[in-house]
Amino acid sequence: MEFDKKSLLKLGKLARISISDDKLNNLSKDLNSILEFVDQLKEIKTDQVDPTSNSLNQKLEVRDDKVDTKNGAEDILENAPEKEMDFFVVPKVIE
Amino acid sequence: MVAQMIEGWNLVIGIEIHAQVNSKSKLFSSSPTDFGSKPNSQVSLIDAAMPGMLPVINKFCIEQAVKSGIGLNAKINKISIFDRKNYFYQDLPQGYQISQYKDPIVGEGFVEIETENGQKKIGVERLHLEQDAGKSLHDQDPNFTFVDLNRSGIALMEIVSKPDMSSPEEAVEYVRKVRSILRYLGTCDGNMEQGSLRADVNVSVNKPGNELGTRCEIKNLNSFKFIHAAIVYEAKRQIKLIEQGESVNQETRLFNTQSGETRSMRSKEDAHDYRYFPDPDLLPLTLDDDWIKGLQESIPELPDQIKERFINEYSLSSYDANIIVSDKATSEYFEDVVKNRNPKLVTTWVTGELFSILNKKNLIIEDSPITSKQLGELVDNIENGKISNRQAKEVLEEMCESGKGALEIIDEKGLSQISDENEIESLVDNVLNSNPENVKKYKNGKDKLFGFFVGEAMKLSKGKANPKIVNDLIKKKLSQ
Repeated sequence: MEFDKKSLLKLGKLARISISDDKLNNLSKDLNSILEFVDQLKEIKTDQVDPTSNSLNQKLEVRDDKVDTKNGAEDILENAPEKEMDFFVVPKVIE
Repeated sequence: MVAQMIEGWNLVIGIEIHAQVNSKSKLFSSSPTDFGSKPNSQVSLIDAAMPGMLPVINKFCIEQAVKSGIGLNAKINKISIFDRKNYFYQDLPQGYQISQYKDPIVGEGFVEIETENGQKKIGVERLHLEQDAGKSLHDQDPNFTFVDLNRSGIALMEIVSKPDMSSPEEAVEYVRKVRSILRYLGTCDGNMEQGSLRADVNVSVNKPGNELGTRCEIKNLNSFKFIHAAIVYEAKRQIKLIEQGESVNQETRLFNTQSGETRSMRSKEDAHDYRYFPDPDLLPLTLDDDWIKGLQESIPELPDQIKERFINEYSLSSYDANIIVSDKATSEYFEDVVKNRNPKLVTTWVTGELFSILNKKNLIIEDSPITSKQLGELVDNIENGKISNRQAKEVLEEMCESGKGALEIIDEKGLSQISDENEIESLVDNVLNSNPENVKKYKNGKDKLFGFFVGEAMKLSKGKANPKIVNDLIKKKLSQ
């Protein structure tokens, strides 16, 4: 798979990361080499194998429906760069 | 009116319902799920997506999803997988929502709804578990958006229908039916005002025989009224565009509850690319046959089954049965009252008088000022002829105001109806004897005077005489 500059800019946009022009070339080269490496996996014949979403041979751990309130609003907001009236404050989002 | 506007066009409607699982704690964390708490007071380090935090799934939520699947006549998938749905938004601290993509916990099923043309099967495509997002407030400050993460991470069941509905009414019936099933199962409280159940509606229009049209999705409708109004508006909008020679853009739209209009929410170039992949923090969810069987056996009687039983056991009409079973509390109330009583009478009093009182007072049946036992007592007094229907209405209103029992009010007001034939006969004789002229006219063919005699007899009894007996006796005497 070819990872061109257009795809790279789109990916950057989706992740809200700005990519400056001078970094475009190197970044797309890096990503391409990763994809090339991953492409090697395609050489393995898998049509007889069930899809694997996880390689661990374990069952999913579950927990009971019990409430635990370790943190209050003050604790969780302590990490917020901006806060007001118990809310996180972020730049205006317009729908 | 709707039918007129849309005449000559097919409507194709599919619905995604987001139903909040009735759990105490969140899907992957132990934070509480209470509604209306102080902002950000129910947020754990997992919900806030602090580095290194790992999700551990709530067993109860898995059970509720499977139960709901059984209630929707759906296939339960013994292996399902949690995926990351990636997008960047301020109400989603993880940067991805944990959801299920290719392998949901519940597969295809169906529900049956009542339509103008009888029963209709609406297909269910799937049900999957996912996290809810936080809540953004855009109107608190001109320059900033405020975020409350209390809802973030609460377990939702997303129920996706097939595009099987073809009118706003069918769409509303479908959501009603799913909500009712979930409430009977107890897997979701169905509270639409608090957002425990909300619907995204996909609408497209096409001319019969033509290809399907382009669909638009209207997000986050939280009442039956809005679902109906949004579909009507959207269908008309699309028809108008096509008739003007323009085309419909596939897009997500928001419904403005004030104006009743929909507007575009995200432009096409920003179309989301979610880059789903299996969440490496969570192993596949595997369900055991015996465990599923155990849940199947725990499923209570559901609305369709109760409806059938009511029709067979109490000879209710399909229409009445439908009204009564649509709500779990109503069907329980009805069943309490109807035991050993006349079903027809009980149906009239529950769906007629009681409902009108509840409507007037804007109450749900759980908060009814008249208990099922009290209504039963009232019905008993109608059945044994102690009071007439008209008097019973008066008594019911008084019961509502004073909280007193039916008998107490009947005694206090001296309301009891006279059903003693001898007593009524003497009243009737009295009326006929004091109106010999009218009796003569009646016998000469002036039939209309019959009502006059009944009226006089009732007046004489101060409205207490059993009207049926009065009627019968007057008829008998006049034909002698």
